[in-house]
Amino acid sequence: MRPILELNAVTRTYGSRVALDEVNVSLERGELAFLVGPSGAGKTSLLKLINREIRPTSGEVWVDGLPAHEMKTSRIAELRRRVGVVFQDYKLLPRLTALENVAFGLQVCDIRISDEEARERSLDALEAVGLGDRGSSFPHQLSGGQQQRVAIARAVVSQPPVLIADEPTGNLDHETAWGIVDLFEDIAEWGTAVLVATHNVEIVTRLQRRVLTLVEGRLVRDQPAGQTGRMAWLALS
Amino acid sequence: MAGVVVKAHFKRRRMVKVVAANLFRHLVQGSSRSWVRNIGSTAPALGSMTLLLVMAGLVGLTGFALYNLDRVETAQASVLQVYLRDNATPDEIAALRDLLTRDPRVASITYTTKAQALQRAQTMPGLPQLAGATDSNPFPASFSVKLKSIDDVGAIDAIVRSDVAVDPAYPTSYDQGAYQRIQAVLFGVAVAGISFLTLLGFVAVMVTVNSIKAAIIARRDEIAIMQLVGAPRWMVRGPFVMEGAITGAMAGAIAGVVTFGLAATAIQAGSQGFTQFAPGVTVVVAAVAAALVFVTGLFLGSGSSMLGMRRHMES
Repeated sequence: MRPILELNAVTRTYGSRVALDEVNVSLERGELAFLVGPSGAGKTSLLKLINREIRPTSGEVWVDGLPAHEMKTSRIAELRRRVGVVFQDYKLLPRLTALENVAFGLQVCDIRISDEEARERSLDALEAVGLGDRGSSFPHQLSGGQQQRVAIARAVVSQPPVLIADEPTGNLDHETAWGIVDLFEDIAEWGTAVLVATHNVEIVTRLQRRVLTLVEGRLVRDQPAGQTGRMAWLALS
Repeated sequence: MAGVVVKAHFKRRRMVKVVAANLFRHLVQGSSRSWVRNIGSTAPALGSMTLLLVMAGLVGLTGFALYNLDRVETAQASVLQVYLRDNATPDEIAALRDLLTRDPRVASITYTTKAQALQRAQTMPGLPQLAGATDSNPFPASFSVKLKSIDDVGAIDAIVRSDVAVDPAYPTSYDQGAYQRIQAVLFGVAVAGISFLTLLGFVAVMVTVNSIKAAIIARRDEIAIMQLVGAPRWMVRGPFVMEGAITGAMAGAIAGVVTFGLAATAIQAGSQGFTQFAPGVTVVVAAVAAALVFVTGLFLGSGSSMLGMRRHMES
């Protein structure tokens, strides 16, 4: 069976600077992997390639069977509906409640979803992230961790096969960060491939999940789950 | 945690009602609210577009009148009026008529007596006073000679002006180059009008594009999220096209009312005199012009929005 996410010999340059250099990565359904490396290693570029925010200079990016590397602009939406995205700064709409933020992500993707269905599914998603009772709260009434949970609910409410997260715990305290990581584990268990870019060494080390290490755009280590490796890249940070 | 989000199966209501309701809310309600919220940044676009459309309406009506005038002038220019001496005998007049009738370049001849000329003059603005200023009839009898080609007017004039039946002081209506001069003036007016409208149109489009840019910037977070979660392009762009269309429709409605009002007022105020200077411009024509102005505003607004988005929303 083909991996849900595949990057084959992907290179991405910005002018003369090489952000990613011949990177090969694949993720299976239900797999949780961490993407680590010093700042400027190419983590965000790799995530942006998956979501087709940028195109690779060369190589192939396949997401759930779709060729992201050669997709026309008119078909990008089709790809993005298969990739949930979580950001460090949550990116919630301040004038909408938590429930409306989640429903917004659902309804703008599919015009056939009724208000009742959107509400029902959004509420389920909020319950799944532990915020079933905060649906009517506005983002400014929620803590950072709660806002991130709403963002995760929005990312998974349409049941995408792939979830990518860029420094999702970067703005959170230690305890809250662990809560978010637990949530990612649950989402992976449900069958979604989850790729998390992070600087949080403790989480990566203790969780013993697959770890992909990028240094200067090259994938220098692909550590399988269940192993504890050295974080040599920390010396470069 | 209720871990049912990903595996849960939900009913999909594909009913037209749901789609229509969602479309209405997203496109109509959403864009209307946004338009009201962004009225400050939209106002310059609304103003310049309204001005453009009023000018377009008035220039259009003027152009229509000039087109009609041109047709009238062209028709009149191929008709040569040959004025007869007051003391010309019936034989002399008949001989001239025969001469003209035999000429293959002549399409038709109409004879107007002095009495008929006076009667006609009394129906024309300004001429009744002149007609009544003297006891005698100052208007001459004449032949209206319609020619097959406007190019032959000069040649026929040369033949008839030396005839004994013709008034030697003011023999014909022929004015060499008059028709060409009118054509040149009309052409100049048309070029000036089109240039002015093009310039004004460019300004209106640019101002509208900028107002849409402002709306895009005000909602950039929402747009970014929509794009990231995979909203189709029409869903992202639709509300902005609607906003532009609302601006255009508002400008078109205002301009349409102003255009119709000005034209109707001018038609009433000018009465007979006006119809002489703007042939063909009636209340119905003014109403059609107003409707066209409205439709133009609609297209101008939505078109400008699309132009603005093409530049600023490509992923």
